[in-house]
Amino acid sequence: MFDIELGENGDILCSGRLDAAECTKAQDFMDLISGSSVLDFSQLEYISSAGLGILLKTQKRLVESGAGLKIINVNNHIHDVFRYSGFHSIFEIEVE
Amino acid sequence: MQKTFTRSFDSLSDIYNFTEEILSSGDVEDAVRFPVHLAMEELFTNMVKYCPDNDNEILLEVAAIDGNVRVAITDHDVDPFDVTAPRNVDTEIPLDGRVPGGLGLHLVQQMVDSLEYDYRDRQSTVKFTKESG
Repeated sequence: MFDIELGENGDILCSGRLDAAECTKAQDFMDLISGSSVLDFSQLEYISSAGLGILLKTQKRLVESGAGLKIINVNNHIHDVFRYSGFHSIFEIEVE
Repeated sequence: MQKTFTRSFDSLSDIYNFTEEILSSGDVEDAVRFPVHLAMEELFTNMVKYCPDNDNEILLEVAAIDGNVRVAITDHDVDPFDVTAPRNVDTEIPLDGRVPGGLGLHLVQQMVDSLEYDYRDRQSTVKFTKESG
């Protein structure tokens, strides 16, 4: 189960498991973002390459307009996935 | 334990629950569970994506012993696709040169301890292991 919603402080809260079956839900939400945004992963347990694709696609679109994504509260396992994917050089990332 | 699953992304939730039940009973630590679930998803979805018209279900076999995990994924009546072949992914490419996709098997190769591929009689079998510690 994956969920994504706008938090009270304006950050985007992701929770659960972002696998290939949940990508449509994630992509539909991310397509609505038009400026620099913070993704809070404190409740996100898991991400696969399908989720990485959504992050990358969104980041490319935002950076073209001078904006970008910051990802915070990343757990150690997802941090490993980012590290193996080279995402540190293209996202601002903060671990838990 | 083994079980077959419908060739669809919609099977991922059932695959997670099937695998997690075995890992829980085998006292497998989180540092092993995460890469096992990730490798399972990437390999299963790879079989779905590259052979969508095949109606055969995909067989998963999972064993957890002393905190270590062995997995075999078998697909019938398919063309060969060697998941152990080097993926040659350049993770240093800047953002404007990147395109979504192509990271799944790279991640599998990075995160499991062993990865084997066997193809015979139009049957593909992928085996991987992840060990504790």
